[in-house]
Amino acid sequence: MGNAVLTSRWMFRTVRGRMLFWIIAVTLPIYAGALYMTWQATAQRLEAGAQRDVDQLGARLATAVDAVIRPIEGGVRTVAYQLEEIDPPPAQYAQRILGILKAWPDVYGSTIAVETANARGAAQPFAPYYFRRGEGFGFSDLATDKYAYQQLPWYRRPADTGQPVWSQPYFDAGGGDIWMVTYSVPFFRRQAEHRAVAGVVTADLDLAWVKRTAAGATLGPIGMGWLLSPSVGEPFVAPIGATTERVGRFDAAVTPDTIRNIGEGMLAANRSFALLPEGTTVRPAYLAVRSLETLGWQLMLVMPRDELLAEANALLRRQLWLGAIGLLLLTAAIYAVAAGVTRPIHALAVAVGRAREDELELQLPEAPRRDEIGVLTEALRHMGRSLREHVRLRAESLAETARLERDLQIAASIQQSMLPRLGVADLPAGIEVAAALQPARQVGGDLYDYLDLRDGHVLLTIGDVSDKGIPAALLMARLSSLLRVLGTAGEPPHRLLAAINSRLAEGNDACMFVTVGCALLDVNSGRLRYASAGHELPLVRNAEGAVRSLAAVGGPALGIEAVAGYELMEGFLAPGDTLLMYTDGVTEAQAQDESLFGLERLDRLLCEAPEGGAAMLVARIVAAVAEHAAGFHASDDLTVLAVRWNPAGVTFHRDGMHWRILCGADSVGIRQAQQYLQALLAAREVPQQCIGDALLISEELLTNIVRAAGERPAATRLALDVALLPEQIVLTVRDDGPAFDPLARADPSLEADIAERPIGGLGIYMVRQMAADCRYSRDEDWNVLQVRLDRSDSN
Amino acid sequence: MSLKISVQMLDPPVIALVGRLDTHTAPELDQTLDQVLADAAVTRLVFELGKLEYLSSAGIRCFIRARKVIEPRGGKVALVNPQPAVRKVLDIVKAIPGGIFTSVAELDAYLDEMQRQVREGQ
Repeated sequence: MGNAVLTSRWMFRTVRGRMLFWIIAVTLPIYAGALYMTWQATAQRLEAGAQRDVDQLGARLATAVDAVIRPIEGGVRTVAYQLEEIDPPPAQYAQRILGILKAWPDVYGSTIAVETANARGAAQPFAPYYFRRGEGFGFSDLATDKYAYQQLPWYRRPADTGQPVWSQPYFDAGGGDIWMVTYSVPFFRRQAEHRAVAGVVTADLDLAWVKRTAAGATLGPIGMGWLLSPSVGEPFVAPIGATTERVGRFDAAVTPDTIRNIGEGMLAANRSFALLPEGTTVRPAYLAVRSLETLGWQLMLVMPRDELLAEANALLRRQLWLGAIGLLLLTAAIYAVAAGVTRPIHALAVAVGRAREDELELQLPEAPRRDEIGVLTEALRHMGRSLREHVRLRAESLAETARLERDLQIAASIQQSMLPRLGVADLPAGIEVAAALQPARQVGGDLYDYLDLRDGHVLLTIGDVSDKGIPAALLMARLSSLLRVLGTAGEPPHRLLAAINSRLAEGNDACMFVTVGCALLDVNSGRLRYASAGHELPLVRNAEGAVRSLAAVGGPALGIEAVAGYELMEGFLAPGDTLLMYTDGVTEAQAQDESLFGLERLDRLLCEAPEGGAAMLVARIVAAVAEHAAGFHASDDLTVLAVRWNPAGVTFHRDGMHWRILCGADSVGIRQAQQYLQALLAAREVPQQCIGDALLISEELLTNIVRAAGERPAATRLALDVALLPEQIVLTVRDDGPAFDPLARADPSLEADIAERPIGGLGIYMVRQMAADCRYSRDEDWNVLQVRLDRSDSN
Repeated sequence: MSLKISVQMLDPPVIALVGRLDTHTAPELDQTLDQVLADAAVTRLVFELGKLEYLSSAGIRCFIRARKVIEPRGGKVALVNPQPAVRKVLDIVKAIPGGIFTSVAELDAYLDEMQRQVREGQ
C-alpha cells in the first residue's frame, strides 16, 4: 500500500483497515484518559506547592514585620511603665520622648499626652510631640484647644480600655506626607486603692520600612502579591518583590483594588486558594490569600494559571509527542502483522480466481508455513485435486452421455425405419392409411404397423409397451418382427394375438407387456375383424360425421399370460368410414393444469372435422394434442393410426345424406355394388333380413337394366343410390339407357303350368313383393327407379 | 364369396349348392344342369340348399329351367332345407309349389309316397 490514502472504504473493506481502526479506536481513549489523569495529578501537586510557597512567604513577612514592631512595642511599654513607677514631672517627658525616637529609627514621631480628668490638683492638658525633621527633631504642641487630643481616637481607645492599641495605617498628609501607624500605650497612677489612667504614650511608625521589607521579599518564580492593611477606607498597600513589573507583563488591570474584595470574601469563607472569577483577569489566574497575625494585615497573591501549570503542560506536551510516536509505531506494527496475514490470503485468492474449468492447475505457493494460512493452502490444494478429478469424471461422463445420445439417435432412426411407409403407391386401392408416432423420449415403446396381405386384406396393428425408453423400444422391435412373420399368414386377429402372446410370454423375465389392437380389413367388402389385447378401443368416424366406439372385448395384454385367448369382433365399415386406432398418449396427454386430453375431446374433434382423408384426421389430432399440452413435456409416447375405407366408385353425398355406388354394367359390377351395399347396411346395423332383401332388390333391378341394355351394356351408365331413413331404406337405381319402365309389365302368372310359364319377369315381381313402395320416373335422359324398403324385419 | 356346386349322381341326383346363387353365378349352375339333365333317364332332381345363403331371381330361373326339362319327363324337382331368406324368395315367386322340403327325411318320405302312388297307379 505504501503511501496510499487510507480512505474510509479501504478502512472497512479490508481486514487490515478494520484491525487498524478497532485497535486504535480502543487504544486512543485509554491513552487519552491516562494522559489526562497524569496531567491532573501534576496540576494538583503544583497547586499544593504554590500554596506552600504562599504560606512560607506569609511566615517570612510576618517575621520581618514582627522583628521591627515587637521591640518598639516593648520600648513604648517600658516608657509607660517608667512613667507609672517613677512618675517624673512633665518637664522630663521631652527627654523620654526623644529617647524613643533615638532608640528606633523607624519611629517617626512620639508624644506623651497627659490625662486631665484624674489629675491631682488642677492639671493642665499637656502633650509635647517630637518628630524627625531632616537630621534633627521637630517639636509640636498637641495640647491646643483646637486639637483637643483627649477626644481623638488614638488617645481615647487606650485610655478607655486601659490596653495598648495599634491604630490602622493612615496617610499623614499634614505632617510628613508619609504612611504611618501609631502605637498607643496608657500609663496609670496609683490613687489610694486603684489605678487611674494618667496619660497615653504613643509612637508613630513610618511604614516606609514595610514597603521596603515587602519589596525585598522573594516572591518566587511566578505570581504578583501585595501586603494590604485591612482599613475600611483607602488601605495601605505594599507590593511584594517583583510584583510591579510582573503586573505590567501580565495584566495592567490587576491591582490590589480589583482583587481585595474577592480576597476578603475568600477569607470570610475560610478559603485561601481559588481561581479568580472569569473576567477578573485577561488570562485565568489563581488567588491565594493569608491573614497575618501581626496587625491583622493580609497577604494576597495572584498567580497566572498557565504559568503555575507550565510544568504540567510541558509534561503533557512531552507525553503527547511520545504517545503520537507510540501510536505511529503501533499502526506500523499492526499494518505489518495484518499484511503478513492478508498478503498470503490475497495470493491464494488470486491463484484460485485464476483457475478455469479447462485449466484447473492452482498456482498455489509452496507451504512451509505451519500456521492457519498453511492449513488453508493445503486445503485449497486438496480442493484443486478433487476438482480436477471431478472435472475429469464429468468429462468422461459427458462423453459417455454423448455416446449414449448418439446410440439413442441411431436407435431412434432404426425404430423409425421399422415403421411402415404409408405412401399411396404402397397401399391397395380403396383404402387410405395415415399414422403419426411421437415418442416421449428418443426411442419409444409405441408401435403401429400396416401389412398388405395381398389377398384383398390389410392388417393394421397398434401397440403400446408398458414402459418407455430403450427396454420398451426393444420389446417393440420384437413385436414388430413377430407381426411381420406371423401376420402374413392371414390369421384372423384374435388368433394372431394369441400366437404372438405365447412367443412374447416365453421367458419374459422383465415382466414387460404390451397392449395391442389388431384390425384385419377386407378392402373389397369393408368387412372388419378386430381383436384387442388390453388396448384402447378404436373409434370409427362415420362418413356421415358421427363417431362411434368399436365394441370389442379385450383380452389380457401380450406377454403376461403364457396362454391367452382373445375374442374376435366382426363388423363392417361403410364406404367413407374411418377406423381410428390410438394409444393413451393421446387421451392422457396432460395440459399444464393437469387436465387430460380425454376421450370426449377426441370424440368432439372427430365429429367436427370436415370431410377429408385419414391424413387430415391424424394431423388434426396431433395438432390438437400439441395445443392442449402447450409445450408441457409429453410423459408418454403418442401414436395415431387411421385407415379410411374409400372404395373407388362409391361416394357419400352429404347434401342428400346418401351414398352413390357407380356400378359396372355386368354381373361383376353388380356383385361389387352389392358388396358395397351390404357393407354399408351392415355397418349401420340394418337387420340381417332387411339387408338380404335390399341385396336381392338391388340385384334384380340392376340385372334388369343390364339385360334391357341388350347388345351394348358396357355403354350404359348405372348407379345405385342408397339413403338410410329412420324407418326405411331408399334404393334408387338410375341408368341412361332408353326409357324403360319395368313396373309397367304385368305380373308373371305364377299359377301357370310350368310348360307355359315364362322364365323371366320374376325379378321385378319379387321386388314389388318385398318393397314397401316402387316408382319409376324418367328424369331427362335417366331412368329412375326408386324402391323403399321398411327397415323393420316384420316380413 | 361365390357359389360352390357339388353333384352326387345318386338316384335321384343331388346337387348341393353352397354360397350365393345370383346373376353372377347362375350361369355356372346352368352349365352343371345342362350336363346332369342331358341324361334323359334323370326324372328327379334334388337341390340341397342348406348352405345356400343368397338366391336371386337369376337362380330361381335355373330351378324353373330344370323343372321345364324334368317335369315333361314325368319327373319332379325338389329343394331341400332352404334357409329362411332363400325360402322367402322361393315362396314369393312360387318357384316350385309343393317341391320344397325342410329336411332329407321329409323328402324321402315324400319320394316313398310318390313311388307308392306310381306303383298303385300302375
